[in-house]
Amino acid sequence: MLHPLDLKLIRDMGRMKGQMFAVGLVMACGLAMMIMSRSLILSLESTRDTYYIKHRFADLFCELKRAPNAVRERLAGIEGVAAVETRVKGKTTLDLPGLSEPADGIIHSIPEDRQQQLHLLYIRTGRLPELGSHNEVVVGEAFAVAHGFTPGDQIDATVYGARQRLKIVGIALSPEYVFESRPGETLPDNRRFGVFWMNERELATAFELDGAFNSVLVDVAPGANPVAVMAALDRELAPFGGLVAYGRKDHASANRLDDELRVLRGLSVAFPAVFLSIAAFMTSAVLTRLIRLQREQIAQLKAFGYSSRQVGFHYLKFAIVIVAIATVIGGGAGAWLGDNVVAVYHRFFRFPTLAFRVDWSMFGVAFAVSSTAAFLGVIGAVRQAVKLPPAEAMRPEPPAEYKPSVLERIGLAHLVGPSFRMALRNLERRPWQSFFTAFGLALATGIPIVPGAMRDGINYLLTFQWDVAQRQNVTLSLIEPSSASAISDIHSLPGVMKVEPFRSVPARLRYGHQSRRLGVMGLSREAFLNRLLDADSRPVQLPPEGLLVSAKLAEILGAKPGDTLLLEVQEGRRPVREAIIQGTITDYAGIAAYMEIGALQRLMREGNTISGAHLSVDTSRWDDFLARVKEAPRIASLNIKEAARASFKKSTGEMIGMITTIYFSFAIIVSFGVVYNSARIALSERSRDLATLRVIGFTHREVAAVLIGELAMLTLIALPAGLWIGSQLANGIIQTASTESVRLPLVLTSHAYGTAVLVVLSSASLSFALVSRRLHHLDLLGVLKARD
Amino acid sequence: METAAPEIPILNSPPDQSAEEPQREPLFIARSLTKYYASGESQVRALDGVDVDLYRGELIVLLGASGSGKSTLLNILGGLDVPTSGSLSYNRMDLTTADEDQLTRFRRDSVGFIFQFYNLIPSLTAKENVELITEISRDPMMPEEALALVDLDDRMDHFPSQMSGGQQQRVAIARAIAKRPEVLLCDEPTGALDVKTGITVLEAIERVNLELGTLTVVITHNAVIADMADRVIHLSDGHIVNIETNRSRRPVRSLAW
Repeated sequence: MLHPLDLKLIRDMGRMKGQMFAVGLVMACGLAMMIMSRSLILSLESTRDTYYIKHRFADLFCELKRAPNAVRERLAGIEGVAAVETRVKGKTTLDLPGLSEPADGIIHSIPEDRQQQLHLLYIRTGRLPELGSHNEVVVGEAFAVAHGFTPGDQIDATVYGARQRLKIVGIALSPEYVFESRPGETLPDNRRFGVFWMNERELATAFELDGAFNSVLVDVAPGANPVAVMAALDRELAPFGGLVAYGRKDHASANRLDDELRVLRGLSVAFPAVFLSIAAFMTSAVLTRLIRLQREQIAQLKAFGYSSRQVGFHYLKFAIVIVAIATVIGGGAGAWLGDNVVAVYHRFFRFPTLAFRVDWSMFGVAFAVSSTAAFLGVIGAVRQAVKLPPAEAMRPEPPAEYKPSVLERIGLAHLVGPSFRMALRNLERRPWQSFFTAFGLALATGIPIVPGAMRDGINYLLTFQWDVAQRQNVTLSLIEPSSASAISDIHSLPGVMKVEPFRSVPARLRYGHQSRRLGVMGLSREAFLNRLLDADSRPVQLPPEGLLVSAKLAEILGAKPGDTLLLEVQEGRRPVREAIIQGTITDYAGIAAYMEIGALQRLMREGNTISGAHLSVDTSRWDDFLARVKEAPRIASLNIKEAARASFKKSTGEMIGMITTIYFSFAIIVSFGVVYNSARIALSERSRDLATLRVIGFTHREVAAVLIGELAMLTLIALPAGLWIGSQLANGIIQTASTESVRLPLVLTSHAYGTAVLVVLSSASLSFALVSRRLHHLDLLGVLKARD
Repeated sequence: METAAPEIPILNSPPDQSAEEPQREPLFIARSLTKYYASGESQVRALDGVDVDLYRGELIVLLGASGSGKSTLLNILGGLDVPTSGSLSYNRMDLTTADEDQLTRFRRDSVGFIFQFYNLIPSLTAKENVELITEISRDPMMPEEALALVDLDDRMDHFPSQMSGGQQQRVAIARAIAKRPEVLLCDEPTGALDVKTGITVLEAIERVNLELGTLTVVITHNAVIADMADRVIHLSDGHIVNIETNRSRRPVRSLAW
């Protein structure tokens, strides 16, 4: 048997179902986002951790020129080293059927004479190469899927200048290629980049590394100091042309995945916080109104002997029921969305299995957070209601006190009609309520700006990166640094109109305790193709000496222009030099440091050495150009701008499209919910006035105009404020989502603003239409007979 | 019904019930008026076959216990409700078949309402409450004029919260009559007021009836008030049980209860 008060609760809620639904839906949106992102985090993190442990992802990584296999024992003896894997690793170019341009890849060795210690492969289909087999390879899954390769297929590749036909025997995943892309690239290009594994002996022979290795993986023992191990590794490997060892935070794939988790973590707080605060405001508004309407019922309950606590709890139950329903709907929606989004994640991040795991604990947190928000929103009204002695509460409330509005006080009364005057005085009489309603409407205006800003930011980024900054249509990288003679070779390729050579030197930039590993890029000062730009898209000229760095890199290092960085080169004689930051440049993907190419070559004490070139190629000779490049053994990779753009649109663009669609749908729901709820509360508060107007002969339309006038006024006040709030929200959320890998510029276009205004005005029109329909059913007599 | 009070000066003579009634044309003609309300499984007969004619300039008091059908009759006369069956005409216009727009037009042009709980718009001053009507009426009086009729010309710029209950009710009367309605319908106008204040409100109603010749229908529980009427209609269980005609109307200021 339900307690009569609970029956009252159910029936009261039934009468208020429209508003309950609106509030619940807004809350559910916030919770859906929270549960979706927290569950995605849980899924990705737990999958990552299990994968890293089970497949033994290394803690430290180091590349070197060449060390004999005997060195492996010395490395294993370093204190704090739990396991060592040495291997051969090198670049390969590929000639793929159906792909006119060359693709490239990285090929790794699999030990034959010993158990593999680290980076164990997960074989999806097929098998590992057989011992003593010839040209058998295992290929990375993302690349295989992009081309539809299955075991048994063959690929033509150039390995260390020699053309070979590779036989695919298996498709595999490795913990070092969760994000399967060229190291340092933030967007995957799975059609043009692949990873391969081959038997060690065969690969070593191909790279002329018989009995030697050029890549080291280390697992640090629990409790050991990784910095000490890194230093020891550097010491041991220095004689063998070793580059500086680095940890997971400098590991391309691991860092990219962690960046994604950082973004998700930020969004899992920022967006839901905004939504839940709006829902709290709405709950507060609805229940405050309900309590004011039920003043006499409260008095009667207290007269019957119910305690203030019981009565208070009864009204809090309204909030609890809304929260409970919202948690169920939001949780269900969040889990469903997460399940869909995780499938998209699988295209970027390759795990043996990436099962979506709902973070059930988040339901509890979600319930607690929204209950608290709702509780805080309602407690004031409840306390006010139970504070009144029953006898006093049973008397009608004294008539509301009004005074002339500010417009009239300054003598402009004659300008406005009675309806407008009513509206103005109503707003002034309850300034806080008006403020909160306007604030809610402003948030409703602001929220749709965020997905709009994200979309515009992406578009700006693409134009900025691919049209304004990069005017080359091809970037060509050589297998290893070459002399200037390479430039004339490149010039002689068919269709090449302009060549701008670059030199890229792997280095660690250090400032104080902060450091980052990257390729320092040497460019010509007169660069016409690959330009450096400032925040306003203006070209920035490289200084004759010193560095220009990404603004983000300066931020990470905590350095500013004028500061001196330590530049530890990790190639050749590995010089360590000081370099002054001469300025920052704006870029949106990855981090970079640039030097004048001559200055970089002087620093390296080398002649006119280049690593590659940016090219402008006559598109009418495109096929000839590609055909020749495919045959050129010294070319390691070719980055074709249009292909990258198309690939981006297909993968990342689709994902961002999906996310913005989710955000935008939620924004519409919130916007509608807030406006509708405000309209319903206004209707409830004004029902007596409106009924009076109807009785004395106002038409339905005239009465609706009075009600809508007040809301329209608030909406108009809220719109400009909402646009400002929206720009701040967008800024905050874009900052939250800004990482080393990808950053979005804050771009606020009239399109985003216009869309937001349109959303709010449409919500307002629809709400007004729904509320005016209710005006038809207004019980004229009932309202007039009732006391206030 | 003889009283010591002086006779009221008659500006717009009330019907001489015996002689003139048959020749004058009624403003309202109700025949077999019924109104049923569904109440769960059963039906409540709020009005059950009411026949009545009401004339211009008359002051009618509807008397009856709670649930007798007074308010239902008043609401149907005022176009706030429609009868279930029977016929009702106002000035030859059929109110039973009128649609929502026609009823709104009827209320706007011809009817003034006064309720027990004043129903003023709290955010508008006395004058502005009256202006609400004068803005939408065809031939209204000036708001000042209407307020002067109820002796409130000195309270024009006060908000409802700044006035007593009697003053608020008089503003409601001014609002109701500012359009110069043919009919003034008052549902328990003194129900929420003390005796002294109630008298001032009834005086205002009386004055409007006499000076403007408005057909005035007043619902009350209070039998004493019946003495101010030309005719007193007694209702019980949805029927008219008796129509009593006062030989002469007693001036309101001599009433006491």
